[in-house]
Amino acid sequence: MPGQRVLNIDLFVNGLIMGSFYALMAIGLTLIFGLLRIVNFAHGEFYMIGAYAYTLAALKLGLSVWLGLPVAFAVGGIVGWLTERTLMRPLYAGYASWGLMKDEYAVVVTFALSLLLINLVDKVIGPYAVRGPGLVDIPRIALGPVMLTGHKLIATIVAFAMIIATALFIRYSLWGRQIRAVAQNRLGASLAGIDATKTSSIIFTLSGALAALSGALLAPIINTTPDVGSFPAIKSYVIVVLGGMGSIPGSIVASLLLGVLESFGAVYISYDYRDAFGLAILILVLLLRPQGLFGEKGREV
Amino acid sequence: MTRSSQQRLRDELVASLALMAAVAAVPLAVTNDYWLGVLIVSMYFVFLAGGWNLLAGYAGQFSLAPATFAMLGAYGTGLLAYHWQVPAWASIPAGILAAALIGMTLGRIVMRLRGPYLALTTLSFAEIMRIVIGNSYDFTRGDLGLSVPALTNNRLVWYYVFVATVVLMQLALYALLRSRAGLYLMAIRDDEIGAASRGINTAFWKTAAFTLSTALAGLAGVLYAHFSSLVSPELGLILQTGLVICMVFIGGIASLVGPVFGAFLVYLASEALREAGGVQLIVFALLVILIARFFREGLWGLARRLLERPAP
Amino acid sequence: MGTTAKSRILVACGAALAMSAVFAAEPIKIGISITQSPPGSVVQGTQVKDGVEIVKDMVNKAGGVLGRPIELVYEDDQGIPEKGRAAAEKLITRDKVVAITGGHQSSVCLAAIEVAARYNTPYVNTNCWADAVRAKGYANVFSAPIYSSRVAESVAETLGKLGAKRIVAFAENTDYGIGQAKAIGEALKKMPGVTYRYETLDRAGKDFTPAILPLRADPPDAVLMVMLPPPAYTVMNQLYEQGVAPSAKTWLYDTSGVADYPDFWQNVKEAAVDMLNFALYHPGMKQPPLASEVAQAYKQRTKNEPNRLIFQAADSLLFIVDAIKQAKSTDPAAMVKAMESMKFTGTRGTFTISSKPGNTFHQMMDVPTVTYQITAVGQPIGQTTLIEGPGVPLDVKQLKKPAK
Repeated sequence: MPGQRVLNIDLFVNGLIMGSFYALMAIGLTLIFGLLRIVNFAHGEFYMIGAYAYTLAALKLGLSVWLGLPVAFAVGGIVGWLTERTLMRPLYAGYASWGLMKDEYAVVVTFALSLLLINLVDKVIGPYAVRGPGLVDIPRIALGPVMLTGHKLIATIVAFAMIIATALFIRYSLWGRQIRAVAQNRLGASLAGIDATKTSSIIFTLSGALAALSGALLAPIINTTPDVGSFPAIKSYVIVVLGGMGSIPGSIVASLLLGVLESFGAVYISYDYRDAFGLAILILVLLLRPQGLFGEKGREV
Repeated sequence: MTRSSQQRLRDELVASLALMAAVAAVPLAVTNDYWLGVLIVSMYFVFLAGGWNLLAGYAGQFSLAPATFAMLGAYGTGLLAYHWQVPAWASIPAGILAAALIGMTLGRIVMRLRGPYLALTTLSFAEIMRIVIGNSYDFTRGDLGLSVPALTNNRLVWYYVFVATVVLMQLALYALLRSRAGLYLMAIRDDEIGAASRGINTAFWKTAAFTLSTALAGLAGVLYAHFSSLVSPELGLILQTGLVICMVFIGGIASLVGPVFGAFLVYLASEALREAGGVQLIVFALLVILIARFFREGLWGLARRLLERPAP
Repeated sequence: MGTTAKSRILVACGAALAMSAVFAAEPIKIGISITQSPPGSVVQGTQVKDGVEIVKDMVNKAGGVLGRPIELVYEDDQGIPEKGRAAAEKLITRDKVVAITGGHQSSVCLAAIEVAARYNTPYVNTNCWADAVRAKGYANVFSAPIYSSRVAESVAETLGKLGAKRIVAFAENTDYGIGQAKAIGEALKKMPGVTYRYETLDRAGKDFTPAILPLRADPPDAVLMVMLPPPAYTVMNQLYEQGVAPSAKTWLYDTSGVADYPDFWQNVKEAAVDMLNFALYHPGMKQPPLASEVAQAYKQRTKNEPNRLIFQAADSLLFIVDAIKQAKSTDPAAMVKAMESMKFTGTRGTFTISSKPGNTFHQMMDVPTVTYQITAVGQPIGQTTLIEGPGVPLDVKQLKKPAK
């Protein structure tokens, strides 16, 4: 049945589009996990800040939307960097007197940071939904059977470009190689003369910037509110576990997979519970293959 | 357990019982239903904070779903009463049991793993429950909530039911922490690998602690459901969990009295600050960050240190 | 009671009267429970507040009620039933208000009326559509807004005249969305040959495309929206993006009055053109003179165009004030008795109060409704095409079908 085939193509493409935005968010979280073995529960708020930075830069400051993207990227980077400087340092800068273990410290501090940022934005900017202007003002394009707004098309291209650029950066650049070295063996890397603290700083900055960019790209599609980050953040946690806690290719594949799965599941299983699919899979994976789909058996450091 | 830490635990129990005695005396001075209601809700949070502290403070395991388990307990009793007219004497224990059983199942899945898996899984679980309860409209009535029979409308009766249950909880926690089980939990918290190498079944004890903390959350939920005669998905908001964590940290984690003290302080403060325009959460979140970063023992730790400082 | 006690009370009353003549009269407190912070709709809460503030100023300028000014005491319910319950309790037990109004979300109203019923305090519902608020049958609860099953009948009637046979609704996953979508289904059952289904969408969701895509292969005659902003905007934009509705084949029909939200045009553009709207207010409809007075005051106060919530809020408070006047006291039982028997004239017309048990219990009867069509981007409601209203029967010929 041709109608069915068109529908399936549409669902697949829609899934890939959503998956690309998930990936942009999840890479940063994966990097932090890979490096520090902690989860940043304020990651969704980096995304929220990006969406606001883009929208307010365009609507309040009158900047061009194309400047809005780097602005959001930079603001997210700064927030990530500040988080690392003020809150994450004690994790590895030799605070000897730990009453509690560091995993717990990270959970509580990032969770509280998330509450703080949401409520701060709610008070300062207000609870009303704002929608960012699109990168181009084309309300509808047809690409074969697929229909989408001009903005969504461009945003998806930017998202894929950034994912590839980040992957190349981690793989080939000097900083990227240092990051991987620290992630593999913090002690060994520092013996080889790599500054682990600086590496953590880079990771947090990059992670904040990518999440913020993801928020900025989606700002014209979603209606941004202070709690907009909690939803994509939860998806990112799922992706990080699914992709094998710390594996970048794993998280990219898992993001696209989740996007497509949700898209098809919504139509063929149940629309009402589609946001629960990923979460149900998370619990299954933890049950059957805790190292994730792409991860190796956990290394004890 | 060393003598001094036993002594410390007893001091904390005595302090918390003294606090509860003061709370029990409040109706002598205050008869306004509204303020009694505020104190009752504070005690609802005492259960959640106490349960979470057992898990996080003593066993070192961080769950992000205490509010979700309170919601599950409340829906347990609420659904039984709503659909099948089950009387409260049966639906209340059933609600607590439901929360504990779900907690145990989840615990068995995730407690085999170390690291941040519990936080991740409980957060996802909270989200699944929100979606399921919100969207299963025909069964749960979605966000309309369920009305639950109020056993009595007498505020004072409810007040003392809550006071008595909190006291029981404190005594039970004290007994548990003094026992061998408490010793194992703290050993796991301080050094999980070491504890395992000394033959402690870490997965078992972690799961047990998690189950107990979810049972306490379930208890809070069922009591609250019948007190307010309303069960709604808002009970399980992630914000409520945030509030519980704030209470434990501000009061003082890993102490018997800290969470009790923190729950009253934070909830009363948030009621008083309501008129100030909803800045409570900003203040509380900031306090938690500062306390976690610089002063691990919370206000109770501060008070104790000031009291114990030898005279110059 | 002994004669001495009685005479003592009389003396005390006399003294109190004399005191009140000397000192400024003590205000009558009326409780307003609205959403002032998220997750509930702060937009709606603010509009209700503006509506009751305008009436309060009007009443107090005219000398108050029973010689006493009225004072409004606000509580924030955050759109959460539990907070609504607490707010009602706070207003009654701490602030000692004589009546409560302002409720604008059904789940919150349902929680609050339980408390109001327990304390026997008069409660006037401002914008809760759910039939259940009426069907509870509480003697002290009265409803000013339209109710769900009436909205459904009206929507079904319009769909019938449009000749729509295959209908799909998108409902938000709230008591409002699901309840209203079900009520519309009930109303459509009475019409032969009509197929209807609804899809529930998560308010927190951002991508509704998978729910919309299947409609492209198999376009229905009409897509109904049973959603509130902001997700309503997201759904509209994605319906337009996929070319599903409004289109030459499919009407887009909003049943929630989203077009009069102040941020409507900031969030949707082309997606709203040719859309049909069920609504309770249109500047072109016939209204009593009191309405223009309130509308004027609102424009001065906010620089915004008034909408239904302003009038519903105004009517809710006016209703309480009139009841106090008629009862000549703030005694709850006397107020409820006055409310039951009143013929009440507000900003939206003159209403009788039904006492028939069920969906219309203690309801202001025959609240006027309108249907209009948006024909251009950025159009103010006053310039939309009024297709149906009080005294204006539905005229399908006025409708414009989208070109593609």
